[in-house]
Amino acid sequence: MSSDKYDKVFIDCFSIDKAKLKKNLEYNSIPAWDSVGHMAMIAALEEAFDIVFEMDDIIDFSSYKVGKEILKKYKVNIS
Amino acid sequence: MKTFSLNSVELLEYQPNRHPFLMIDYVTKVKPGVFAEGYKNLTNNEWYFPIHFPNNPNVPGVLQLEALAQMLTVAITTLPGNKGKITHALSHTVRFRKEVLPGQKFVLKTKVDSWKRGICKGYGQGIVDGEIACEATMTITIPEILEQYLPKNKA
Repeated sequence: MSSDKYDKVFIDCFSIDKAKLKKNLEYNSIPAWDSVGHMAMIAALEEAFDIVFEMDDIIDFSSYKVGKEILKKYKVNIS
Repeated sequence: MKTFSLNSVELLEYQPNRHPFLMIDYVTKVKPGVFAEGYKNLTNNEWYFPIHFPNNPNVPGVLQLEALAQMLTVAITTLPGNKGKITHALSHTVRFRKEVLPGQKFVLKTKVDSWKRGICKGYGQGIVDGEIACEATMTITIPEILEQYLPKNKA
């Protein structure tokens, strides 16, 4: 699967340009990805991919890059 | 879950605010995680009336909003495991429609739109004499729960 759907969640939730994602965006690295932003992003990913994250995965979801690895557990493979 | 009421003493177990900042007298009906309704009777003795304003006493908008947020809090703190937990406001959008005056009964109706991982999104109306005086969409959190879900380390 291309990363478009995954990227769109970040772009929409954090109101950022796609270019920001190339630098491996991390939790708390921008004002929008704070605690509330984190929960909004997690909820948006769950809706976009029709999955429900386990608590440990929500905690481990510390960056754009790590998120791709976590999604593999839910059979969502992003190139 | 069952619907029940909370009198002014029982309310204190579910609402951490205290007089004179507690903006609820009575919870007439609460269904945990779904809605909470009740009221505040506004007497001339309310602390803000002499100063807001000397010749035109009315409830400050910020306190009307606070009353709605406090009532929404009750809808969440009555859920199992949340009793006595502290809540914080995250974001509120409010529209004021009419003044709320001494002697009026300020009816508060709130409903939970979503409650997940320590974040509650909800809606509330403040009503006087059968008319909407203010309405708000609100997001509140129980930090103690929210913090359990946050990344501890950077990647």
